Amino acid sequence: MKKILAITLVIVFTLALVAGCTNNNTPSSSSPSQSSSSPSPSNTSPSPANTNQTPESTEADDSFDASRIIAVFTREDGSGTRDAFVSITGVGGDMYEEAVVISETNEILTKVEENEYAISYVSVGSLSDRVKALTIDGVYPSNETIMDGSYKLQRPLLVCVNADSVDDPLVQDFIAFMLSAEGQDIAATRWTKVDLNAESYSTSGLSGTLKVGGSTSVEPLMQALRQAYIVLNPGVEIEISGGGSGAGISESTSGVLDIGMSSRALRDEEKANLTDYDIALDGVAVIVNPANPVEGMTIDQVKVIFTGEVTRWADSN
Amino acid sequence: MHIVFVIAAFIAILAVALICIFLFAQGLPTIFEIGPSKFLLGQKWTPTNSNPAFGILPMILGSIYVTAGAILLGVPIGLFMAVFMARMCPGPLYRIIKPAINLMAGVPSVIYGFFGMMVLVPMIFDAFGKKFDMMSGDSMLAASILLGIMILPTIISIAETNLRAVPQELYEAAVALGASHERTVFKVLLPAAKSGVMAAIVLGIGRAIGETMAVKMVVGNQAVFRLPHEFLKGVRTMTTNIVIEMGYVEHGSLHNGALIATGVVLFVFIMLINALFSILNNEKASQ
Repeated sequence: MKKILAITLVIVFTLALVAGCTNNNTPSSSSPSQSSSSPSPSNTSPSPANTNQTPESTEADDSFDASRIIAVFTREDGSGTRDAFVSITGVGGDMYEEAVVISETNEILTKVEENEYAISYVSVGSLSDRVKALTIDGVYPSNETIMDGSYKLQRPLLVCVNADSVDDPLVQDFIAFMLSAEGQDIAATRWTKVDLNAESYSTSGLSGTLKVGGSTSVEPLMQALRQAYIVLNPGVEIEISGGGSGAGISESTSGVLDIGMSSRALRDEEKANLTDYDIALDGVAVIVNPANPVEGMTIDQVKVIFTGEVTRWADSN
Repeated sequence: MHIVFVIAAFIAILAVALICIFLFAQGLPTIFEIGPSKFLLGQKWTPTNSNPAFGILPMILGSIYVTAGAILLGVPIGLFMAVFMARMCPGPLYRIIKPAINLMAGVPSVIYGFFGMMVLVPMIFDAFGKKFDMMSGDSMLAASILLGIMILPTIISIAETNLRAVPQELYEAAVALGASHERTVFKVLLPAAKSGVMAAIVLGIGRAIGETMAVKMVVGNQAVFRLPHEFLKGVRTMTTNIVIEMGYVEHGSLHNGALIATGVVLFVFIMLINALFSILNNEKASQ
């Protein structure tokens, strides 16, 4: 009796395992064929996809079921990418509350890669082939479209200094380095340059201490700039702290910081006391699974998806 | 030499005391600033809105649901496994199973989380996604299954130790009276080890409610008020609430305080569980 029970259990578990494995294999074996077939129409016609979306979804992908719920993945409250995304798209504080919250860019990429019905957003510098970036108002995110401003989902990464610090030679020299060809090459590693034809930087031989603080989105860029700068100017020490764009702006106004970092443009009343310099541009890409036939959206379409007004792919266009 | 041991003991106690003081000194003022009922029973968590709301009821319930699910799945399997290992397992098999269980206890939780994210979540989405109109596989169910697996080694090893501690005379007496092996194990040995088995379950609950990394990767993290039957949807637990939002929070802000206060509530839960554990242990000692 016991033996029979044990044997049946073993058989059931093995069958379950086999079933589980084959289930996993079917979508993964079929998805490459879709991903290879769906980009081909986009290459020929990268224009606003409103008109050619319907034929695409019927011919290319039988497995993509547009009646399914849109799986919205978002970054956590307080993330710089989320701040930029909700303020540019107009989602604001009305983020869809059913949206799955992920606190790592890589985890977002994995989730979107695993889920055919997913949509999310990441910094353009973090894009990979595992996911498909959408065109926004017909413009694909790239260094060129971000720099000429035609790609709308972007924000400046900037530094600001108050009237006292702006004449400080060390502050001037460090900012000159950020805007030089060397500084812009560092910006281009993950972000977009603001100036393609920047002049080369020459060492000034100054020494002293600088306090820099503010946006955590600018912080990695500032760390990279600092490393390169102190190699050229061994006498200079630079302390970098986080705290967010708001802290960067208020503390550089009050003079606690020599240089403030911000990942949003300054407001007019803030500009009265501060001089600001854009040091790089950062685009936010809206991403979907490669099996998704959708190639592009308008900012409004993105907004209604992320506020939860539209919850099914069939209703999204 | 004596003094070295005293110092070591004091350092351990000091660490616990410092954590307590830090948590309560930072967390309690925030709870009163928000209002205890608004904080503990509020259903909205929108910390960065212009009109912020700090209600952690969804997270408290989330922690309870996910833990309850883990107990539901993990305890029966764990107990049967413990009984098997203590009383039925042939020697050669035991020498394979025992190290396997120990290994399971040593696997870092982020590895469990990775397994959950890459295997469990897509599996649940494939199985139920279309039928139940799921957004993704990130759900209470995924977290419960994963935690159910993670608490197995805790439950198995403690329950097994307690089953082995039952005097052999009890077993022999029951068998001598004509009871079968199975009947003896379930009707005599298991009741005799009852408080030890309960202690194993309580420790399992403690492990499940405090787990962070693995849960974060599979649970969805939506701070939404849920009912238990919505187990195919995601929730946010108290632990994931802290770890997800800690990274970017401004120091000294109310948001920061609210996250520490979430830690206070979690800490109180853990203290209750530990108190329950010592009560059960005392009961065992008095038997």
